[in-house]
Amino acid sequence: MLKEAGFVDAELVGETGFNSSPVTRGMLFRARKSAISEVRRFDMQTKGVLSKYQEFFDSAYGEGAIDRKTKHLIALGASLAAGCEA
Amino acid sequence: MEREGEGITSVKRQWTMELAAEDRRRIEESIRQKYSKVATSPDGHFRYPTGLAALETLDYAGEMIRKLSTSILSSYCGVGNPFKLGTIDSGETILDVGCGSGVDTLIAALMVGSEGKVVGIDMSPEMIEQATENLMKTDIKNVIFQEASAEELPFPDESFGVVISNGVFNLIPDKMKALTEVFRVLKPRGRLMIADQILTGQLPEDTKARIESWFR
Repeated sequence: MLKEAGFVDAELVGETGFNSSPVTRGMLFRARKSAISEVRRFDMQTKGVLSKYQEFFDSAYGEGAIDRKTKHLIALGASLAAGCEA
Repeated sequence: MEREGEGITSVKRQWTMELAAEDRRRIEESIRQKYSKVATSPDGHFRYPTGLAALETLDYAGEMIRKLSTSILSSYCGVGNPFKLGTIDSGETILDVGCGSGVDTLIAALMVGSEGKVVGIDMSPEMIEQATENLMKTDIKNVIFQEASAEELPFPDESFGVVISNGVFNLIPDKMKALTEVFRVLKPRGRLMIADQILTGQLPEDTKARIESWFR
């Protein structure tokens, strides 16, 4: 249900020990809203940006003259050289 | 794991139950009636401890509860400690959905400090009155209490960094609508931290019995 509402990382963490009846149990839940807001995500989805980007990503990292593992290591090196630490 | 899986299934079945308008009205009226009494004192209304004993059992941070007076703490009637689900940083903006007498709201306000802001909403006017009285017993300045429905939150999109709730969603007739509203008012990367009751047994087959069991 949390996922249906748009949340990510929905998690049933554990019991609280406070039960309001013999057939109910006190529980702790948590979830998160993605860094990309729903409006922006919707815009990107309607424009097919996400699927196109995924196609590009899969193609770029596919096996070819250079194997997938080497491509990832090159990308990692380029990211670090560019100062990307995210 | 099996028990947890059953629990999640029960949550989904319990939380997606469709209600007729009349049943919904009865539930909301019953909630208002019960919590107008709870606002006076939670003693005797719940199967679990309330007040300071509950806060201690649920492992609320001692340095926070010591900053609130005994009369404020005695009004606590939560089902868990939502603050165990993540840290609340100084300067954050928090919404407490179904704040009741406002103990969690006031603790959140102490956590976010003067740079932060906390809003507590509740559908019961008596609870909002009690929460406001509790606020006036403190020197906390960064809290607002207001009567509102979780299903129609009166706030702009992306207003809050964290939404907390304690023992409330199980009572909300349209839980999906409320969760969608919470999602709307959360900022990107915002967090939802809930303590609540889930049904672990079977739902009564008869709709009337289900409505009458709403407060279990």
